[in-house]
Formats: sequence, structure tokens, C-alpha cells
Amino acid sequence: MAVSKEEVRHIALLARLHVEEDEIQSLQRHLNGILVHFGRLKSLDLEKVDPFAREDLDITPWREDTVVPWDGREGALSQAPRREGDYFRVPRILENEDE
Amino acid sequence: MRQPGSAVIGLEIHVQLATASKLFCACSTDYIGAVPNTNVCPVCLGQPGSLPVINARVVEFAVRTALALGARVGQFTRFHRKNYFYPDLPKAYQISQYDLPLAEGGSLPIGDGKERRAIPITRLHLEEDAGKLVHSAADGRLGHSEYSMVDYNRGGVPLMEIVSEPEIATPAEAREYVARLRQLVRYLGVSDGDMEKGSLRVDANVSLSRKDGSLGTKVEVKNMNSLRALERALEYEIVRQAEVLASGESVRQETRHWDDGNGVTCGTRGKEEAHDYRYFPDPDLPPLVLPAGFVEKQLGFMPDMPWVLKERFCTDWGLSNEDASVLTEWPGLARYMEECVRCGANPLRAANWIRTEILRVLNERKIPIEKISVSPENFSALLTKVEGGDLSTTLAKKVFDLMVSEGLSLPVAIDRLGASSGKLTGPELKAVMDRVLERETSAIEEIRTGKDPKGKKRGFLCGQIMREARGQADPGEVAKMIGEILDNQ
Amino acid sequence: MNSLGLTATDLAAAVKNREVTAAEAVGASIGRLAELEGKVHALLTPLFDRALARASEIDRKIGKGEDAGPLAGVPVVVKDNLCMKGIRTTCGSRILEKWHPPYDATVIRLLEEAGAVIIGKANMDEFAMGSSTENSAFFTTNNPWDLERVPGGSSGGSAAAVACGYAPLALGSDTGGSIRQPAAFCGVYGLKPTYGLVSRYGLVAFASSLDQVGPFARSVDDLALALDVLSTPDPADATSSRRSRPVYRACLGREDLKGLRVGVVKEFEAYPVQAEIREALGRVEGILRGAGAEFLPVSLPTTIEAGLPCYYILAPAEASSNLARYDGVRWGLSVEAEHLLDLYMKTRGEGFGAEVKRRILTGTYVLSSGYYDAYYLVAQKARTQISREFTEAFRNVDMLLMPTTPTLPFRKGENSEDPIQMYLSDVFTLPVNLASLPALSLNAGNSPGGLPVGVQFVGPRWGEETLLGAAKAVERVLGKPAAAFGGEGA
Repeated sequence: MAVSKEEVRHIALLARLHVEEDEIQSLQRHLNGILVHFGRLKSLDLEKVDPFAREDLDITPWREDTVVPWDGREGALSQAPRREGDYFRVPRILENEDE
Repeated sequence: MRQPGSAVIGLEIHVQLATASKLFCACSTDYIGAVPNTNVCPVCLGQPGSLPVINARVVEFAVRTALALGARVGQFTRFHRKNYFYPDLPKAYQISQYDLPLAEGGSLPIGDGKERRAIPITRLHLEEDAGKLVHSAADGRLGHSEYSMVDYNRGGVPLMEIVSEPEIATPAEAREYVARLRQLVRYLGVSDGDMEKGSLRVDANVSLSRKDGSLGTKVEVKNMNSLRALERALEYEIVRQAEVLASGESVRQETRHWDDGNGVTCGTRGKEEAHDYRYFPDPDLPPLVLPAGFVEKQLGFMPDMPWVLKERFCTDWGLSNEDASVLTEWPGLARYMEECVRCGANPLRAANWIRTEILRVLNERKIPIEKISVSPENFSALLTKVEGGDLSTTLAKKVFDLMVSEGLSLPVAIDRLGASSGKLTGPELKAVMDRVLERETSAIEEIRTGKDPKGKKRGFLCGQIMREARGQADPGEVAKMIGEILDNQ
Repeated sequence: MNSLGLTATDLAAAVKNREVTAAEAVGASIGRLAELEGKVHALLTPLFDRALARASEIDRKIGKGEDAGPLAGVPVVVKDNLCMKGIRTTCGSRILEKWHPPYDATVIRLLEEAGAVIIGKANMDEFAMGSSTENSAFFTTNNPWDLERVPGGSSGGSAAAVACGYAPLALGSDTGGSIRQPAAFCGVYGLKPTYGLVSRYGLVAFASSLDQVGPFARSVDDLALALDVLSTPDPADATSSRRSRPVYRACLGREDLKGLRVGVVKEFEAYPVQAEIREALGRVEGILRGAGAEFLPVSLPTTIEAGLPCYYILAPAEASSNLARYDGVRWGLSVEAEHLLDLYMKTRGEGFGAEVKRRILTGTYVLSSGYYDAYYLVAQKARTQISREFTEAFRNVDMLLMPTTPTLPFRKGENSEDPIQMYLSDVFTLPVNLASLPALSLNAGNSPGGLPVGVQFVGPRWGEETLLGAAKAVERVLGKPAAAFGGEGA
């Protein structure tokens, strides 16, 4: 298999996604399965192709440097799972307590 | 070929650009002192469904900076996402630039005359600033905090990152590089370059060259909040690395924080997770293509570079290196100086007076030069009076103080101090005359004995008296009084 | 007047002419909904009170002789990944189960400014990832034509709502086929506009370079009307094109299609497609030829081979980045946690469903150091190649006719065992997103078993007018699609 369980755990950590042991197995299977499909791209001759040629975009639209106040601040803060007055609160950032 | 054991320093400097609104949204960038989470909107909060749109002025400012550094501006550049998780990063990615930065190359001159060196620059790119974290611990530090709080006011503020080649050789050079860059961005008006306020942040990469001259392991040093801290931190780090190597160990590649209180760099605790930022081009932003003529247009906004001005102050006006340095430290100050000279002030006197009187006032009142109540015209007029002997230096300083403290114009201030045009008459004039006549006894003798048919000696005496009176006497009156004295004896 | 069964176009006219009030129209929709929702389960959040209040406002405006907009009084359903200020917007996910956005999506604002009345937020596959609406964290929507089958996905709820006649119009989003495939499965029209025609501001992103918002309807006139309302350039979306838009309603007048060149893709002929669909393609070809169109073969060699792997590298890659912001800090689900890492891991572990996790992991993998070049970069190149092939093909033809899906609507649970099997459902739709093209799925009749059969028109960029014109020609012959469950909404 191309992807090991260890790699799955590593990728899950990168993605900040907790996965149970049994999930790891099925994820491993899925990843390996899909990588086989991805392998089909190798048969194409894409050497001279520009990966980022996008005809679908206009050239950069940009905006004037003017300040526009927003009135939805309370709506946003009120949705915070842990709100502390004017702030968004997060639990202890460091994992280890003994500092 | 690098000397073994020699220090190699590269600097990454983040400059906050002084635009009114943020890089990708229309929120105000004025976050200092603002109530937390008030300069926010769906975009800079990273709300689901929100999208970035670039601020044109940011691009203008960055291009001007690139031009001032002699860098090559890319006509076609793009934005990448730098993905990582941290509470101050609302989208869990920072919009930055990766393979196609806004500008590459260029250099920053440091040193004067023969010592002059150009430190080459690798790249200049744009990215958004992160929010601010407030930690719950009493000392405000991350280490002992049970929780933290996030304020996104600063999130999305435009940053310009300028990366130097690892070509800086000493902490002193590093300090000068930063001082020059700071001066540059102030001159361009693109940033206030304040290290204490955080609008100019420096990260350093320090290594010691290996025996074969190749680059040693580099250590990143952060958290240096002033020029002095930068110099001290680098000095410390170089010594630290040398000691590590001398003891036979190898230098560990890591990020260290400068602890200004204790004068040491500290390694970060815990295992260093190697970051995999998974950079990829941001699909929400089309490539940045500069319109035709855009770069040329920015050239029109370029002021003289501070080092060019300084050179000119020395060559054109004969100012000392030191005077010229001080006067070109701030663009406003240099402009003030230029204006004064343009209004007729003597450059050397103006330089002296600005350095002493003007700077004193700025320091006392904690105001920038732009806010001083004495215009260059008025200041120049004052200096001309001193130049011409109309006012003594002491008196002039009193006049100046009055002009500053009460915002009075020159004539009014002079009048208030009773130093009005200072014409000497009557007994005061006689006193001056007597002084001269006592001195010039031979001339008087010749006039009395009829040896001054053409009145030359008489004229000479008048001249002497006028000089003594510093031009503040009326020539007619002097001639009359001389006549009275000489003809009556 | 019975407003159910009227097209949005006719209903808007009727409301304007005071033949029916907005309140009556909305009331009728709500009634229809109440009647059928127990069977279909199309909506996550009904908005009846709000809708009736809005309808009253519109009636007041019209009463004063004011112009209440081109969609005044028309009930509309919107997919639950479109932000509505203060209204629960879940994206079909537990992680946003209780989220109320603090702002409106641009398309929502445009709809409401046009006088449309939003009656509910529709069910969908979680974060738009899926082809059956079975990935919704809450419940599955049933295909109105056969309740044991799926309505398609990810915009299954929106498609079903229009198919049932809850509303003449619905909004969905399409990243790899999520409007067109459910449109085909539910027997209605579904249009995915050219990338950049319709604003994405306020559409919760799945894959930013592929997502587009588009309409479901039961008449071509209504698709055009919706497009006229929705396709305004948006300065808040940097990928929104500033190109000037035509009036889409104005392109539907032509009776014949003389001069229209329709392409049929050689490489698709051999692909296994159910007989009823092949038959429908033939039927539609006949109608188009009858109207004067000519048919030409075209070749898209890379598309079949590379389309699926390309899409399933790029879409998850972008999604892995777009979904990183769901971390329990600013909105949504947030579990109890002692420290930050726990908060992130557990919130996301609990809040995301299996398919979303699969895609986030796949996306993270293909972007990660060591794999970026082999997968992400290669997929980008393949995308450019696919795009070029379409451009090449459109030199010789004005539009393409192809299947929307390889199969008829499948049974619930049929594809859940093997996610990759499910992906194959998108083989004809996702290349269109990769090439940023417009495409439309139309109903070409029902199978002998009574299941809707859809076919797809694909156009060059900005070619919506061509697609609408061709669809109108077919509609003249086949008639407008009927509503499921007949009755008043037929």
C-alpha cells in the first residue's frame, strides 16, 4: 500500500482532524484507492503544459483605499462559542502544563 | 569566500503599510487603542463565504518601495495561501506570496563614503497581518496562560515583507540596515516604520560560517523591538553560537526569542513541529497584473532618497556629516531645512538652529516636525535677523520661544519683547559713539587739524560707529552727532 | 387564481398585475410544502413567518404603485450553503448546525432586492460534497419521483423543492455537477453558469475555483429570468467577471436553430451509459436537428481519462484549505477542551461527517510536502489541458450535447459503500467545472419506470444564451417538465 497508517495519522494531524483507530483503517483504504485513480494522470504527456494558465479570470480587480465600517460586529461576536466581552476566547494554547 | 567563524546575518523585515484600509477588505487599519474586534468585517474575520479583494494603494506603496530599492517589479505576480492553524489566523491560512513575489532583487545602501556598501535584497512581497493574542497569565506571556483572547483588528492589515540576502556581516551593520530601511519607508510615506508600535518588525537569521567557508546552520531570532535590542540580540547570538561550536557541539536549527530583560536569546520549548504550509495559489484572487504605465506612474511619487539628500546637504551647503545625518533622519525635517534655505536663511545657521532649537521643541512637546507652529518662512526670517545683526542670538531665542509657545508671528513676537527694530538713538547711540571716539583718537586728531579735506576720515568714523551699533543706528543721525562733537571742540 | 403551477415568469407578471397577491402565492407554496414535505424532506429550515412578512411588504409596495422587482412575490428556495443574515445556515453539517451568519450572500441580496420571497433553506450534502444528499448530517432528501431513490446531490433539496412545486425557482451550487446532476435526477432544469458570471460572495466555499451558484426551474424562461437577476458583477468577489451581461430573457425569441452547430463527444460514445439516457440523447438530437441544428463530432481525448482524477485532486485540495477555518473558535460547534490542539482536533473530528473527512485528508495529502508536485501540480496541468481541449472543440461547434449522468437516479444506500463508486456519477459534469464552462441539464422525458431522464448542454464560456436558446427549442416540443405528485402543482 502506498499510504501507511502512520502517514494517515500525520495527515490527520496536519488537518487538525481527530480520527479514531477504526476510521484510520478505512481512510487508509480510501486514500490508497483514490491514489490508484490519480495514477492515471501519469500516462498523460503534460510536460509542456502550464499548470496555472487560467483563462477564466479577468486581470486583477482592485478596490480604492477607503474605509467602510461594518455594522455586523455584534452578530459575529454573538456567534463565538467562547466569547469574553469584546474578544474571542481560546483555551490554553500550549499543550503541556508544565512550563 | 566567507571567513570561517564569521557571522552571517540575513534580515526579514515586515513593514506595515500605512493605507487607510486593510489589504483585502475595507476595514480601518487604525487598530492601536481601538476597542477589540471593532475594525472587522466578514472578510478579515474569515467568515464562511467571505472573499478577499485587493487594495490598490497597497500595491502602489509596495511598488514605490521596490523602485526605491532598485528591485525588479514583477508585471505578473500572484498570491498563495500559507496554511496553518493558530487562533490569530481566522481563515487558518494567511494570504501571502510564494513563487512570484511582487519584486525581486535590488539593494539597500549602508555606510558613508568609503565605507559605503550595498546590501542585496532577495525579494519583496505582500501578505496580510494576523490578529493579536492577549494571554491570560499575569506576565502576559503564552507560557503560563490558562487561556488566551483574540482580537482581529490587526488581522488583514497590509504587510510588505523585505528579505535581505545573508550578506550582513555584523550586528552594527544589521542595525544600520534596519535604520536605513526605516528611514526609507518614512521618506516614501508608505509606513511610519515604528519598531515599538510594531509597524516595522525584524526577524534575523544568524549563522557562523563553517571551516570551509560555507554557511553554517542558521538560527532565527525574533522579538527584537528596537534598534538597540536588535544589535544586542545579534551580538549575544553570535557569541552563543561560537561557544556552542567551540564546545564541540553543533548549532541546532531553531527559532529563538530575544529576552531584552535578561539579555539572552531563548529557544522555544517543546518539540518544534516542522511546518508544512502546503502553499498553493489562492484561487480566490486572480493573478496580480500591473496595468501598463502603473510602475512608471509610481516613479512620479518618488522623493529624493535620504542618502541622496544627505549627500547634497554636505556638498551644496557644507554641512557636516553629522548635521546632515540628523537633518535627513525624517523627511519632514529635511523639507523644513530646505524650505528655510529657500526662504533665504543661511544653511549653516539654519542647520545649527534646527538641530538645537527646533529639535528641542519637538522633543519637549513630543510632536512631529509637521506640527510645529513656526513656519519655515518665519523661522527663516528670524534667522536672517540674527544673520544681519538685527537681533542678538540670545534675544532671538527668546523671540523663537514666544513664537512657539504663543504661535506669534515674527514681528509681533519681536514687538512683544520690546526688541523693536533696535534702532539706537539718543544716549544709547552717544554711548556707542563715545566708545568709538575714544578708540579712534588718531582719526579724530587728523580731522581736527584739518587733515581731512574730503571727509574720508569722517566717513570712516561714521562707519565704525555704525558697525559698533550693528547697523541699528540711523546714518544721518550719526553724521550729525559726529559733526556736533568734532566741530564743537 | 392558482399560483402553483405558474412559472416564475408568469407568477411575477400575475403579481405585478394584481391578479394574485404575493401573500397568496407564498401561502400556496407553503401549503404545497406542508402537503409533501413529510415524504420528501427537502428543507432544513423553513422560513414561513419571514416569508409571509416579506410577502406582505411586497403587496404593500405594489399597492402603492411601486416597482417591487422582476421577481416580486415569487417564492424561492435556497441551498443551505448560501449565507443569510441571522438565519441558520448549516451547509448540511453538524459543525454549523447552529450557525447564524452575520451577513447576506450577494445572490441572496439580489434575489430579495428583486422581490423574491425565500421560503426555506434546502438540504444538501455536507459542505456540497456528494452526489446524493445522503451526506447531509441531518437527513436524506427523497427523490420526489421515487421516494426510495436519491434526488442527486449536492443540491438535492433545492432540486426536489422545484420538482415538487414548492417553488418555481431554487438556487443551488455546482462544483462538479451539484446542480446539474440533481436536476437530471429530479426532472427539472438546472443551470451552472460560466465561472465568474454569478457572485460567490456569501456562498460557503467548497472548491473556490470550481464553485458557482445557479438556478433550478421548470421552464427555460425562468432560468433566463433568474440569470438576469443573479448575474450582476460583484466588486466583493475578485473572481466575478466585470464583463457586461446580455439580457438573457431577450435571447429566447428565435423559433429555429438554423446555423447552430452541436458537437457530440466521440470519447463519450463508448462510455457505459444506461439505455434510457442514450435514448433521451437521441430524442433531443432529433428535436434539435428538426429545428435546423447540425451535428458534428468533436474530440475531448483527455477529459474521460483525466477528468475524475484531476477533479478529485483539485477540489479536495481547495476544500482542505477552505474548511480549515471550522475550528471551534469563532463560530459553530466547539467541544469542551483543555487546550487548543484538543479543541481543533475534537471539534473537527466530531463536527465533520465521513465524506468531508475523506476529502479534507485527500486534499491535505496532495498539497503536502513531497506530494505537491506529483499530484496537485500534475492535476493543475491536466486541468489546463482539459480546458484547452474544450476551447479547441468550440472552434468548430457552438455547444455540446452529452449525458448529464451515466445512470438514472439510484437507490438510497446503493453507492454509500464505496465512495469512489459515487464519484463516477460526476464523470460528465465535472469536466465542465474544470474548464469553467456553462452547462444546463434539461429533462428529456421519463423512463418507462417513471424516473426522470436528463441530458446536458455544454457551452463555451459566456455561452449561456446559446444553451438557453437550444433548451427553449426542446421545450417547445417536449413541453415544460411536470411537477412530481401532480395535483395543483402540475
